[in-house]
Amino acid sequence: MREPTYFVLASLLDGPLHGYAIIQRTAALSAGRVQLATGTLYTALDRLSAEGHVALVREEIVNGRARRTYGLTSSGAGALRAEASRMAEAARLVTNRGRRAKAAGAARKASPA
Amino acid sequence: MTPLERRYGCLLHAYPAWYRRERAGEMLGTLLEASPSGKRWPSFRDARSLVIGGLRVRASLVLCLSILWAGLGALGAGYNFILSAHVPDAVYPEALTPGWVGEPNMIAVAAQRGALTWFLLTIPVLVAGLARLRRRWSRAGAPGGWRVVSIAWAAAWSAGIALMFQIADWQPSAPAIYACSRNQNCVLAGYGHAILSPGELAICAAWLAIGAAMTLILARTARLRVRYVRDGTVPGT
Repeated sequence: MREPTYFVLASLLDGPLHGYAIIQRTAALSAGRVQLATGTLYTALDRLSAEGHVALVREEIVNGRARRTYGLTSSGAGALRAEASRMAEAARLVTNRGRRAKAAGAARKASPA
Repeated sequence: MTPLERRYGCLLHAYPAWYRRERAGEMLGTLLEASPSGKRWPSFRDARSLVIGGLRVRASLVLCLSILWAGLGALGAGYNFILSAHVPDAVYPEALTPGWVGEPNMIAVAAQRGALTWFLLTIPVLVAGLARLRRRWSRAGAPGGWRVVSIAWAAAWSAGIALMFQIADWQPSAPAIYACSRNQNCVLAGYGHAILSPGELAICAAWLAIGAAMTLILARTARLRVRYVRDGTVPGT
């Protein structure tokens, strides 16, 4: 799962959003790192909809234009959770390293051979 | 309509008409909401994302490449067929394929370049097709099923390429062709068969059938996506 896709799904965790709100929310969630361009957002939404991860929730007319609100489906939430735990596992490989190395160093000092 | 709105509207033409009918209003709304007031020109980032997104929907690169691949292969088969109708009796040292009397050099060169392009296109099209099949099958909820399909796909491509090599006679072990001028001076003109046998014509036909079938497979995945957006419905809801 690519990063923009991940953040689009994550932005919908708190409830359905429309296009611009997704852009804002992804920027906020990633501390400004993920700035979705509109074309990228809709490409991602098309794909996520086709995969059943995201669904159309509401359609209204604002300023004479359609505004669609998208929500996370259960399969989308599942995919997001799976990706999150995969990344957490990958992160542990690195973050646990310092602790383990420290522990190993302490053990070496404790038992001079 | 503000200038910015008009310019975004222009950019949205990167998308096909059916997609714009469905989405243009919504996307324009999002684009305008995302742009600060007083902005007159779309940002480069937005423009790029719209053009790329539009091209993605319009015609996937894979489909274009595969059509080019199949088309070049078909042209090559046709060219070989024409060659087969002309017993070489003159020498064109610059041509790799045995020429016929009066064959313009331009055609011989175009044929060589076409063959080279066709050959180089083979790998990216094969890989892209595999990636596409994999995505499609995993989406259809049959994990593992794509492997069978991919093997069939790769086999079809290998068969197609083997067939093309067969008719184009690119294998080095092909018999030598001697081209003889009218005063009986014979020179080595190339390797391969000058005349296609009925069996080789059948190979040409088989290649065309394989090329058409594979293009159809890729085109069908493209159409699937179209259907979803047209209906506006989402599976799994």
